[in-house]
Amino acid sequence: MASTAQAPLRAHPRAVLAVIGAGAVATVWLWWHGTPAVSGFGDWLTNAGRITGLLAGYGVAVLIGLMARIPPVERGVGTDQLARWHSMGGRYVVGLVVAHALLITWGYAVTAHAAVTSQAWTLLDGYPDVLLATAAGLLIVMTGIVSARAIRSRLRYETWYYLHFYTYLAAALAFSHQFAVGAEFIMNTAARVAWSALYIGVAAAITWYRFITPARQAVRHRFTVESVTAEAHNVVSIVISGRHLDELQAQPGQFFRWRFLTPGLWWTSMPYSLSAPPRGDLMRITVKAAGDHSTAIRCLAPGTRVIAAGPYGALTAARRRRHKVLLIAGGVGITPLRALLETLPAAPGDLTLIYRVSSMRDVVFRHELEQLAERRKARVWFVAGTRDELDVNPLSGGELTRRVPGLIDHDVYLCGPPGLTSAVTRELLDAGVRRRHIHRESFEF
Amino acid sequence: MRRVILAIVSTAVALVLLLSFKTHTQPAVPGSPPASVVGSPAPGATGGTGTASAASPAGSGPAAGGATRTVTGKVVQTAYGPVQVKITVTGGRITAATAVRYPQGTPRDYQINSFAIPQLNREAVAAGNAKIDAVSGATYTSGGYTASLQSALDQLKGA
Repeated sequence: MASTAQAPLRAHPRAVLAVIGAGAVATVWLWWHGTPAVSGFGDWLTNAGRITGLLAGYGVAVLIGLMARIPPVERGVGTDQLARWHSMGGRYVVGLVVAHALLITWGYAVTAHAAVTSQAWTLLDGYPDVLLATAAGLLIVMTGIVSARAIRSRLRYETWYYLHFYTYLAAALAFSHQFAVGAEFIMNTAARVAWSALYIGVAAAITWYRFITPARQAVRHRFTVESVTAEAHNVVSIVISGRHLDELQAQPGQFFRWRFLTPGLWWTSMPYSLSAPPRGDLMRITVKAAGDHSTAIRCLAPGTRVIAAGPYGALTAARRRRHKVLLIAGGVGITPLRALLETLPAAPGDLTLIYRVSSMRDVVFRHELEQLAERRKARVWFVAGTRDELDVNPLSGGELTRRVPGLIDHDVYLCGPPGLTSAVTRELLDAGVRRRHIHRESFEF
Repeated sequence: MRRVILAIVSTAVALVLLLSFKTHTQPAVPGSPPASVVGSPAPGATGGTGTASAASPAGSGPAAGGATRTVTGKVVQTAYGPVQVKITVTGGRITAATAVRYPQGTPRDYQINSFAIPQLNREAVAAGNAKIDAVSGATYTSGGYTASLQSALDQLKGA
């Protein structure tokens, strides 16, 4: 809003979905174009297998592309939303892969008048690269299984994270059978070129944005831990210094993925929001000691080198549509909202912050928030206490409507644990707030 | 859970719709091969394979009514490769039919045609003409086979 001339490019979520949908239509068209006619039961099965296979191949490319951290997409859609699309689409693609394998085997068997088991063996043994593709399919199914909610919660974040790298291997293993036996590609050079371009494009985006860019940023900006200070019970702020930080164009509300180069921490990178707008050559993050990693962070020594990838996230002033803004923070979700409270352009009285904590000793930035409220003529409410201690749900639609006059004329920025953000979103929608005016981010990884 | 069921059902419905539209556009076989089948002899059809030149019936002995003759049909190009049929005729009846050329480029061609060609051969002998049923799953090969068989029969008539 301030300097539109150099506002970073943002891809609208609907535009991103439209591009993905158009690609899917083009993929089905590829089948339509290359198939003369379908006759007989075996042909039906085989062609259903072809369509599901083509869509699975396209879907894998899209799923990896969504996670490529392409800056306009990260800013426009938001990391949080991208992750939800990824996990929803991931389940669907796993289903397509399984359907493809079963339908093709069954369809070929019916056409060749063979038993399904012997046909499966013929496919593995006699068809080029089908063995590789089967391995790829198993890897994809395995990734789907470990991502299922029940199992995911029992795995360490890092285990789950690194298992996901096998999907790159799966995409590579599955690629060759698509051209070697894919009827749509064998006779169609243009299709082969377009398909290769899709895969090469995704691979290039992943390599550039996930691997090369963080390395380049580390060299250019030389991020270093400046200081570590305790904020509240189990919460610390870390100030990080660096050079040329203005070039990063980090907006308040965004986050970086931080990799602290100490013996115990270098192999994992964690997302933490900026808890204050960048100032000169300093940035600040605020971390709650939850897992092993966050606990180790409290013992960081000043001078530790850091690799920071980012900025990411769409919870910024660019999302704003209305004059009045309500910020709702749950626990350590206060960090990006603290930065927004300081910087969102707003007239006196237009800003409201509701900060939900389980007890007052968990409140972070109490002093800073009170100062900001005073300076910006904003209202700040601390809502402390467990649900049992409070008589009513303080974040219910009715309660919010009563506390915040003109609630439905507000943009609502929401950040907190996943349970809280989805519950409050439902309450807000019930209270009449439009979905497009609710901007949320939850810190689930 | 409702979303999962919705996704599965809508995908299945979309697949069935797509496939049924394709079923309606099926070309009429036998008789007319698919539009993409070109009924012209391939250049070099006479080389290499050792079969008789496409246009000349390779008669053995005088062309008497009860004699046995072997005729090779035209090479018919299909999307998956050329098809060419050779028939043996004794006393005006087809006693044997074989495909001397058919698509074998990929394992899938091989698998389909190793099943389809013998069936087409049997059908040709049983029918005694080119009005034979297409083999399900081998639409292209069937179309090419019928066209080549018809051209072989035409040569017999013309001779």
